[in-house]
Amino acid sequence: MKGLFAVALGVLTAIGGFLDIGDLVTSSVVGSRFGLSLAWVVVVGVVGICLFAQMSGRVAAASGRATFEIIRERLGPRAGAANLIASFLINLMTLTAEVGGIALSLQLASSVAPGAWIPVAAFGVWLVIWRVKYDLMENVTGMLGLALVVFAVAVFLLHPDWSSLATQALTSPVPAGESAGTYWYYAVALFGSAMTPYEVFFFSSGAVEEKWTLKDLAQSRLNVLVGFPLGGLLTLALAACAALVLMPQNVEVTSLSQVLLPIAQAGGKLAVAFAIVGFVAATFGAALETGLSTGYTLAQFFGWSWGKFRRPTRAARFHLTIMIGLVIAMGVLATGVDPVQVTEYSVVFSAIALPLTYLPILIVANDPEYMGEHVNGRITNVVGMVYLVIILVAAIAAIPLMIATGAGA
Amino acid sequence: MTDEGERLPRPEYRGRVLDAALHLLDRQVQDVHGEPVQTADDLEIGDVPVGESLEGAERPRILAILNGTALSTRVVGGRPPSSTLERIPWRHVADVGTAIRLTIEADDVDATWRERWVRDHIIRRIPGGRHDPE
Repeated sequence: MKGLFAVALGVLTAIGGFLDIGDLVTSSVVGSRFGLSLAWVVVVGVVGICLFAQMSGRVAAASGRATFEIIRERLGPRAGAANLIASFLINLMTLTAEVGGIALSLQLASSVAPGAWIPVAAFGVWLVIWRVKYDLMENVTGMLGLALVVFAVAVFLLHPDWSSLATQALTSPVPAGESAGTYWYYAVALFGSAMTPYEVFFFSSGAVEEKWTLKDLAQSRLNVLVGFPLGGLLTLALAACAALVLMPQNVEVTSLSQVLLPIAQAGGKLAVAFAIVGFVAATFGAALETGLSTGYTLAQFFGWSWGKFRRPTRAARFHLTIMIGLVIAMGVLATGVDPVQVTEYSVVFSAIALPLTYLPILIVANDPEYMGEHVNGRITNVVGMVYLVIILVAAIAAIPLMIATGAGA
Repeated sequence: MTDEGERLPRPEYRGRVLDAALHLLDRQVQDVHGEPVQTADDLEIGDVPVGESLEGAERPRILAILNGTALSTRVVGGRPPSSTLERIPWRHVADVGTAIRLTIEADDVDATWRERWVRDHIIRRIPGGRHDPE
């Protein structure tokens, strides 16, 4: 019974924790402009993140080494440092977007301007990282994030024409009024929002935090293989809501309140309340993950003591890094930059940075010195190589597409 | 590499052969309790005679694991002044696996002074910093 409870908890947490501000914004933008014609990207992204998270979790459990320790060991100090700088900056950008996302979500709930919520949000994130136990933090934000299931309910309440939705999703046409350039630009963005590097820093470091052994791998595999695809379904539900309500009216999503419009139409105030709880939980949970990841990346590269399972005095520089990261995020947001825009750029840059973390993990997952008998099987390696190509193509195509389309304008 | 003379010398001792670049450089260093100390930024190797025959010369030995300025010179090149190097003498090394394990505690390693400074001047002074998370 206890085992079943742990399994359910893990899966539910993975579903709730799957979504962040990047998914919320990107899938709504994509839904409102392209309908479900980019649904296939979500499928590709979800399979990719399952593969990647599972692999990095296995590496962490088998070798006790987290992602950035491995990147440093395999790439050496020079390429490793370049990798660190790129990954750290993009993670900081994502952290900024998430903290801004918390402020925007709280604004929706309170109509107090987000500028006032930003320090509150950042302080809240810091306090939880400083004081709250790892598994409690994970489970609470994951469970509350499940409130976003309301988007899936809303799709049914909107009584869509299922066959036309399915045709859209399966034939993937480029809608009239959109160019092939913007179509592919948003394909990269959607891919980047599903496969964000911080999720992997967090997942592999989390395996060390929770002291996973190889015995726990089956549980983690289940969480990932069931939780993430269900989380991906929520992403599709968000896109479907936008496609059903916003697309016919030519509403382009530029704010978080527009993401709520279909919910309001489908389920009224109660549904909106659920959605806002889900927004706060999803952005807060992701802010915790990215905040911790600022500390994880730097501490693992330099070999400092890190982790929430230690009291802060025993991981001093790790905690100092997180504090500085949050202060920088607050500073950037204080300039009045729109968090939604930061989000849109952060998902594309995530796609660009992805090969930097993916390749070292793929190599080490095949190294018997680290993995013993738990090296990648043949099927994992075939899928892993296919994804290496996809990830490289997305990363290389991202910047030319960004320039050619004026960032998807 | 088929020429007998160019082959790597066969080790005289039985046991594991470690490649310093592959197994030691950039590895995590842990203290006796498994606490992270630093990364092995570089290694200090004993003198090799220059300009004379190596015949009969003593084999170079690893003297210490280096930290501090050793990392910056490995990234940008050059040679750090010996006085700025932070060393962990090799005799404190207990074991080499996916991490290098020491026989001493992290706080007894000189190179961890930055960690101790941040701990004592910043983290310790913030309420809750000395307690386990709840």
